[in-house]
Amino acid sequence: MTRRSNTEKPTCTRDPINVVTDAILESISDGVFTVDQDWHVRSFNRAAELITGIPREEAIGRRCSDVFRASMCESECALKHTMESGAPVINKATFIVNSNGKRLPISVSTALLRDEHGAVVGGAETFRDLSVIEELRTQVKGRFQVGDIVSRSASMRRLLEVLPRIADSESTILLQGETGTGKELMARAIHGLSGRRDGPFVAVNCGALPDTLLESELFGYKAGAFTGATKDKPGRFALARGGTLLLDEIGEISQALQVRLLRVLQERQYEPLGAVRTEEADVRVIAATNRDLADRVEEGAFRQDLYYRIKVMKLDLPPLRRRREDIPLLIQHFVDSFNAIQNKRVTGVSADVLGVLTAHDYPGNVRELQNIIEHAFMLVRDGQIELEHLPVEIVPVTVARLEGRKLVETMNAIEARAIREAIERNGGNRLAAARELGMHKSTLFRKVKLLGIDLPEQDGRSHAEKRTKTSGRKPG
Amino acid sequence: MKAALTVWDGRMAPVFDVSREALVLTIEDGAITSRSIESIETPMAQLKLERLTELGIQTLVCGAITEPLQHELSVRGVNVIGFVAGEVDEVVKSLLDGTLPTRALSMPGCCGRQNRFRGGRGRGGRRGGGRGRKERP
Repeated sequence: MTRRSNTEKPTCTRDPINVVTDAILESISDGVFTVDQDWHVRSFNRAAELITGIPREEAIGRRCSDVFRASMCESECALKHTMESGAPVINKATFIVNSNGKRLPISVSTALLRDEHGAVVGGAETFRDLSVIEELRTQVKGRFQVGDIVSRSASMRRLLEVLPRIADSESTILLQGETGTGKELMARAIHGLSGRRDGPFVAVNCGALPDTLLESELFGYKAGAFTGATKDKPGRFALARGGTLLLDEIGEISQALQVRLLRVLQERQYEPLGAVRTEEADVRVIAATNRDLADRVEEGAFRQDLYYRIKVMKLDLPPLRRRREDIPLLIQHFVDSFNAIQNKRVTGVSADVLGVLTAHDYPGNVRELQNIIEHAFMLVRDGQIELEHLPVEIVPVTVARLEGRKLVETMNAIEARAIREAIERNGGNRLAAARELGMHKSTLFRKVKLLGIDLPEQDGRSHAEKRTKTSGRKPG
Repeated sequence: MKAALTVWDGRMAPVFDVSREALVLTIEDGAITSRSIESIETPMAQLKLERLTELGIQTLVCGAITEPLQHELSVRGVNVIGFVAGEVDEVVKSLLDGTLPTRALSMPGCCGRQNRFRGGRGRGGRRGGGRGRKERP
């Protein structure tokens, strides 16, 4: 089969050098395309086809921005810069959207194309798919990532490790965690790992709608069901068919709706308002709440039968203050994301900012940290995020606390706090605390001594062991 | 119906996620009754969805769009016709004629893909290439 040359040449003839050039371009793993002065694609190599998912035949002759679809096309076209200034662009990071709607991180380099008389006839752009490198970088950094959740903390890691098995089942899941801990991200990650991943993911905030509206939002209605219902409206159960439905803030729904929801979960069927026929509920339900549902059951505000039906598998998402070791990782994750989205070159945060952000308590959890970085991005173009770029409400107090201290002292204070909290969380068990913090027990004891940390009198481990030993002596 | 077309330099903007302007049309009985250019520039792509909701958009015609954003829009009931390329005037004409998506105004490599992006209804069981829709010339 003869294949069309990757180069259409108003300026070149098919001499042996061009044949060799074609062969080289076809063999390399970087995507390469060239454009004429009207921005029409003149050549498109094999790697460019593979990376973009666009056959060469469809790319050649089209405008480069319609083919390449990079985040920089509209605002900071690298080729335009080169064509106007004559200066090449080297390894500029951006992303493209491939034919499957997938966002691919790439790096781009450009150069001018000249004819044999030295006149500019167009430009060449080479691009490299960075998705594999990004993945490797993730592994090297030792972080754990599922979906959009990144973490290196032991508590999250345990959670993320069991996620694939949980996702495999069709059981209802209850996600419990404070606001901003990433319940929706977790639900999306479960959906992405499940057999329903090709189906839709639909989220409903049950706390945001009054009861009557929520009912029609969930189950839909038929034309004529009530005044103003002029045509059928599918509910979220119908929209999520074949996929996953997240019922966020489930603890807020009324008793009446709890009864209806229980029936749907038990019988996998529901009736839209005004319908005479039942519909099949082909969805996997994930419920989420920032309240303790067991408490709500005790208060009589939440039905016990529904509680047991939705908590077939319960996952507790730890607040960010209990996994401070994730803060630097999350900062870098948000910096990378905002750089890609906003085409900026922010390198990270200064040591002072890292100190402030690590010490903050984050009542709004990960979402609050994300908002802080987003706020800083509005004020910084490149270089590092400094203290003056942070929202005032978190800086003054913290800076006042840090004033006059050296960085080492600040870091020591943060470290001491992390150790104290880990010991508290583990009921005084030093060994468990060391394990959670990812350090050896002797390192923990050394730091406790060095930093002058007051330990609780009760050692969780010895207490538990004593109990076990005592019970072991009891006669059968 | 209120429709938004993401535009750039007289053409469809290449990537919705970073697009900055939208041509907003109100269409009644197949004719445009109002037309305006609106800024949809936001620091995060996700916020564009809020902006479109704020503008009351029911149909979005755009260039390349990433899957999560497309899905979110579908869930919000917005009919998304993505991966559209070409001169804005031609796209508007095609929209009014009801011939979008069409091969002639599709981004390369995306022919037929737009059909997977239609609306938020009836996605279940109809995934994978828009079965049941006619291929237009």
